[in-house]
Amino acid sequence: MLPCTGRIDEALLLKAFENGADGVMVVGCLEGDCHYVNGNIRARARVERVYGILETINIGPDRIRMYNLSAGEGSKFAAYANEFVEQILELGPSPINVARTSTDGITSQEEAA
Amino acid sequence: MTTIMENPEKSTVQPTGSVMVIGGGISGMQSSLDLANSGIKVYLVESSPAIGGKMAQLDKTFPTNDCSMCIVSPKLVEVGRHKNIELLTHSEVKSLAGEAGNFTATVVSHARYVDVDVCTGCGLCELVCPVTHKSYFPKPPGEGEEKKKIRAREKNSISGSSTIVPSSLSKWTFTVSEDDCSACGLCFRSCLQEAITWQKKEKAVIDQDKCTGCGACFTACPEKFSAITISDAPELEKSLGAAVNERSLVMRKELAEDGDCIRCGLCVITCDKVMEIGALKMVKEGIEAGVDICQVCGGCVSVCPVGFLDIKSVGNREPRLLLNSFNEELDGRKPVNIHYPQAVPRVPTIDEESCVRLNSGACGTCQSVCGVGAIHYDHLETEKEITAGSVIFSPGIEVFNAQARGEFGYGLYKNVITSIEFERFLSASGPTSGTVIRPGDGSHPRKIAWIQCVGSRDHSCDRDYCSSVCCMYAAKEAFIAREHDSSIEPTIFYIDMRSFGKNFDDYISRVKESNVRFVRAMVSRVFEDPVTGDLELRYVDESGERQSEVFDMVVLSVGLQVSRSTKDLAATLDIELDRYGFAVTDHYTPLATSRPGIFVGGAINGPKDIPETVVEASAAAEAASAGLAEARDSLVTVEKLPQEREIKADDELRIGVFICHCGTNIASVVDVPAVMEYAATLPGVVYTDKPLYTCSQDSQERMKEIIKEHRLNRVVASACSPTTHEPLFMSTLQDAGINKYFFEMANIRDQCSWVHGGEPELATEKAKRLTRMAVANAAAGEALQEMEFDVDGRLLIVGGGIAGMTAAVEAARQGFGVWLVEREAELGGQLLKLKRTADGQVFDEYLRDLKETLLADDRIKVFTSSEVIEQSGFVGSFESEIMTPSGAIRTVQHGAILVATGAEEARPGIYGLGEVDTVMTQTDFESTLEERDEEEWRHARVVMLQCAGSRDEEHLPYCSRVCCNQAVKNGLRFKKMYPEAQIDVLYRDMRCYGLGEIEYRKARMAGINFIRYDPDTNIPEINAGENGVEVTVTDPSIRLPVNIRANYLVLSTGMKPRDAEELASMLRVPRNEDGFFIEAHAKLRPVDLPSEGLFMAGTVHGPKSSGEAIAQAQAAVARATTILSRTSLKMSGVVSTVDPTNCAVCLTCVRACPYGIPFINDQHSAEINPALCQGCGICVAECPAKTISLGRFEDRNIAAKIESYCE
Repeated sequence: MLPCTGRIDEALLLKAFENGADGVMVVGCLEGDCHYVNGNIRARARVERVYGILETINIGPDRIRMYNLSAGEGSKFAAYANEFVEQILELGPSPINVARTSTDGITSQEEAA
Repeated sequence: MTTIMENPEKSTVQPTGSVMVIGGGISGMQSSLDLANSGIKVYLVESSPAIGGKMAQLDKTFPTNDCSMCIVSPKLVEVGRHKNIELLTHSEVKSLAGEAGNFTATVVSHARYVDVDVCTGCGLCELVCPVTHKSYFPKPPGEGEEKKKIRAREKNSISGSSTIVPSSLSKWTFTVSEDDCSACGLCFRSCLQEAITWQKKEKAVIDQDKCTGCGACFTACPEKFSAITISDAPELEKSLGAAVNERSLVMRKELAEDGDCIRCGLCVITCDKVMEIGALKMVKEGIEAGVDICQVCGGCVSVCPVGFLDIKSVGNREPRLLLNSFNEELDGRKPVNIHYPQAVPRVPTIDEESCVRLNSGACGTCQSVCGVGAIHYDHLETEKEITAGSVIFSPGIEVFNAQARGEFGYGLYKNVITSIEFERFLSASGPTSGTVIRPGDGSHPRKIAWIQCVGSRDHSCDRDYCSSVCCMYAAKEAFIAREHDSSIEPTIFYIDMRSFGKNFDDYISRVKESNVRFVRAMVSRVFEDPVTGDLELRYVDESGERQSEVFDMVVLSVGLQVSRSTKDLAATLDIELDRYGFAVTDHYTPLATSRPGIFVGGAINGPKDIPETVVEASAAAEAASAGLAEARDSLVTVEKLPQEREIKADDELRIGVFICHCGTNIASVVDVPAVMEYAATLPGVVYTDKPLYTCSQDSQERMKEIIKEHRLNRVVASACSPTTHEPLFMSTLQDAGINKYFFEMANIRDQCSWVHGGEPELATEKAKRLTRMAVANAAAGEALQEMEFDVDGRLLIVGGGIAGMTAAVEAARQGFGVWLVEREAELGGQLLKLKRTADGQVFDEYLRDLKETLLADDRIKVFTSSEVIEQSGFVGSFESEIMTPSGAIRTVQHGAILVATGAEEARPGIYGLGEVDTVMTQTDFESTLEERDEEEWRHARVVMLQCAGSRDEEHLPYCSRVCCNQAVKNGLRFKKMYPEAQIDVLYRDMRCYGLGEIEYRKARMAGINFIRYDPDTNIPEINAGENGVEVTVTDPSIRLPVNIRANYLVLSTGMKPRDAEELASMLRVPRNEDGFFIEAHAKLRPVDLPSEGLFMAGTVHGPKSSGEAIAQAQAAVARATTILSRTSLKMSGVVSTVDPTNCAVCLTCVRACPYGIPFINDQHSAEINPALCQGCGICVAECPAKTISLGRFEDRNIAAKIESYCE
């Protein structure tokens, strides 16, 4: 939870991937309805910048997405969350996790041996 | 002479430092908050079980489409938690004695049957209550008689579609107690499974292998023996009703919803043992209902896990669903219910009429499940005496009863609904969870018609006034409906589009662009097709053709009216109302009623929208407290906190984690003990607990003890929403002597158990993870200091028109010093040019008196021909430089600023204005009328042109709100002075909103001719010369061109803001593209500017009448008083701070901050004033040097959460 999506920056978004997230959802106020005037617009721009970075490092831009919602739209939030999870499930685990699991796998096999 | 002072003569008796506010809608809440935040004790009396009023029922608000509940709920919480507001809900004022300064009121609190102080609002009682309908209770036993069950004479056998396969899912065990069995054999006969062995004179025995646990034997066993006992039934220790509910819930999860009877027996047990009726019996083919003795409470239907029973088949009397008043009776509710999900207080009320326990003494399930013992069936009505210095009456409105307009078929045709009902359909928390449906058949309507002015502008049903809000709310509803479902085609049938408020016309344009059709026509009748439920509307279109069009659904835009009970209450309070029930007030004292010391706020003072209501509410707070200034702070509670224990960064972590059951809200889904065990394994955690209700008063006391005993230095609660509960837990930390920012919360209810009910294992995992994240974040927490600043108790007012002058006088009455700066040589502003109020009072006289009062007050220092040229500082402590006419500069200190620079009449060079003498503005006309010689006017003909250079992209694009009323006022005055003179008013929409409509009607009756023109299709041709004016225009009412030769042309040119560009940039506050200042929030902070400590009043905010400007001035003073009345101000600890060591002075933060707070200091570093920072963290994220930090939301906090999430 953040005071405003405007608080989030690229480094923190990437940190989530670094720590093993397969996808990241950023949910802010409706555009034009930001509690802090324009924080959500700035967040959108940052998320868009992260698309590029994810593309470059072969994680793919589809693993991050910004959504906009009002506080009264609980069911919409659930729908968005399900939709995004579907999308991530289709993409499968993030390459970072794939790489980690395979190294982990080797380690454990070695240990077993 | 008019009275300026709203309060009575000074008496020698010390006034009481409290105010009673009647009505807890947005008006009453705003008044209460402004008062309570200015050192006045408030008693808020609300007749319904919760505050919130009409605003809480709305889905979205115009013209911003803000979600209504989202913006009002923080206010609800603030009122509910305020130490100086005593909430008296479900209560009514019975009498009021005394006089201004010292009233005594008797307030009756109706029995709620739930203890407000003990209840935690978990909602379990509502969940388990089996009753859904208003029962036909059996006759109570007479005196000395024993309660006896009546035998049924009429029976109805209800059978399923196939033979019954009994289910023994979560089966209860029934056994016969040998000691009690009388060997009567009734159980043997009742058992359909042949599971009971019995012979005459022998005791019955149940064969547990054959028994399916239906309990037929249990209900058959005569009460006097009660030989059959139940075991293995969870929750039975609470009550049988609780056990039934529990088993029903378990079965429901496993079984299909529309199944055949599974002979679980819950319905029979409920009817016989919980409701003590005994109308149901299990038979071979299904259920046999004794329809004549059924009380139709709905209990059997609601416990049936497969939806087999239908209430219509169990009883022969008409089922009466207990309707949900909050949802406009569109759905049902339980007798014990919380008024609405976000209600404050979040405490249920038990409905006396339908609760079985209160009527027949049976049931009692809710009491048995309440974990805190908050339910008391023996509650009685209580009476309380309240002493108050003033009273604010803000009872709000109800909507017009649309059945009075029979031609539209409301109440007869199912698909004709009212606008407030439609609002509930749109609402996500409404009866259809935000889906727009036709009530008749549940289908999705495509064509929806709105009919305007139902119960407004209607002489036939004594609603002559305009309800002011319907045009806008209809446009909003149409727009939002299309947002929900883009296949909807809305049409709005209207007379005049009265979008007169700030930014309203822009909104209407947006709505039009979104394919909402507007038709200027009055619908004469609605006919229903009885087969399809479709509705045929008949009307005459603008060309005079009769039209007929079919719609799927019709929404009636019902007007606002004063309810009968409000009128009665006004009589109790002894205040005068007009014939429609609105309070009688004076133009200059818009909030003062006929009884001194009683003030009004909101729609009781004439129909109005939310921002105007909020303005009046603040203004009423100001008017009510001005006379009590000397008693300020005399009755309020000042909290004393213990010394904070010092916690150093390198101290050993001692985290305490509390996992809340929330009754069964969390515990029924999440395995609370497992989460607690898990929490105990997390690093730094030294204490864990799992309270039943973490927020209950005793749990909070215990938490304080635990913090001290275990020397905790971090506290984590895994419970509900921080929005509602974080402040409570934080204050508990403060009471226990540790910094409140060492608290962290995980929401395992709203965001976990409530949404993952079907997946308890995954929900438990999620709860563990959320708790782990909160613990990690708590470990990364630090103590934050809330800075305290001294407050200078003086007010700077810029602008000496009616708003500025009123504010000055009122602020002085509140006891504050005032610096009043006026650019012109004379005080008075635009009012100097106007002559009379709508009710004929002379402005000059009022201004003279006001000026006298103002100049005589030595607390007010007036600077005329002066300007503010420099301004610095922050809320509570500003400094400004004033340039006086001599060129000297005077530096003044003050705690708040009020901008009231006003507006003036526009003078566009159109139709010869300024060139020929026959053309003048409306204001010119108003003053000429008073001055010019009689002979000349006697037989004059005047043409008024409305919207002359208004609502016109080339001149003023907006509506100036006042011109229609001004034209009517001047027209009526002219007609009164010279009855033979002629007036024609050319208009686009007559926007005589509210009670102005009555004057408009008078004007038509007086023979003033109104001709509607259209800037696109029917442009008037006007030629004005020195010798007169010639106008040609088509009159749509006769559909013929008319030619008017008149002596004068009067232009309603509208208002434009005075030049305040420099002032705005000096104060760093935004103005809209029209040049009016932008408020902090269009709905709820209409007189606050976006920067703290800055306010505005009058036409600087947007065009408005002098009466409205006076109200706004009082409102702005009320808002300023919340600052000026304090000696010091405490700021939030969550603010951005720049570490100068790494600052590269790149100005990124300066540009990024939406409030313009960061600046470069003389040390060549960016600096953020903590008093001004709003704590959004945008600068923190933008700073390329990462040298800005925001307490609680540091990178290390967020990183800790991310890392622990991914662990």
